[in-house]
Amino acid sequence: MSEQQPATPRPSGPSGGPREGRPPGPGGGGPPRRGKRQYFRKKKVCRFCVEKVDFIDYKKVEMLQPFVQERGKILPRRMTGTCSKHQRWLGVAVKRARNIALLPFATEL
Amino acid sequence: MAERLYDLIFICMPTTPEEEITKIVNTLEHAASEHGGKVEKVEKWGTRKMAYRVAKQREGFYVYLALHSTQGSLIKELERRLKVSDAVIKYMTVRLDEEIKRQQKLVAHREHRARRRPRKLATAPAPAAGPAPEQQAASS
Repeated sequence: MSEQQPATPRPSGPSGGPREGRPPGPGGGGPPRRGKRQYFRKKKVCRFCVEKVDFIDYKKVEMLQPFVQERGKILPRRMTGTCSKHQRWLGVAVKRARNIALLPFATEL
Repeated sequence: MAERLYDLIFICMPTTPEEEITKIVNTLEHAASEHGGKVEKVEKWGTRKMAYRVAKQREGFYVYLALHSTQGSLIKELERRLKVSDAVIKYMTVRLDEEIKRQQKLVAHREHRARRRPRKLATAPAPAAGPAPEQQAASS
């Protein structure tokens, strides 16, 4: 009988060193949610901080599109890796674009 | 009062003829100059598909205006005219001067900081560009 002893420790959530550009988020405590999705998959850097964007223009739909779901909802920060400041600006820009029919409010699946 | 910067976007029915749109833009320009404003830029984005139906239309003719004004009441007047016009189905005004100011401040901060770092070894006190960046640079 072979001894099966998986000695590999189970990667417990957000272990690891300091993440760039991300303050300790909600991954610290709490039981991991099974079934839904994993916590904190990869280290993500805020795209706007990297590109040093100062103004998120609501008229540029191509810039906003990657941050919006197919259904029209705004993606949460933990999915896109945006920093809080830019996430706020992004929200404002998306809402302005929605008002002027450049982005949908909601689409039916 | 400081000069305010506005973005005005309005959408016309896609079937509107070009001259009528030009007429609307001219009306807005006249109204703006009467009330102490100035139209900086006019861009006609043409017929574009809209993200949802407005006035039972799927497409609309988008027009974008950038305005400078010293009086806030100008916007009310322009929007009133757009509301009254039959061809215009949607409009939106955004006030941008605070954001532009903030953006310029960020750019200035960043340039100032970038300039200071290589010079830190050479000269100790940096050229006084502003009172605020002094504290930031001291900690870096």
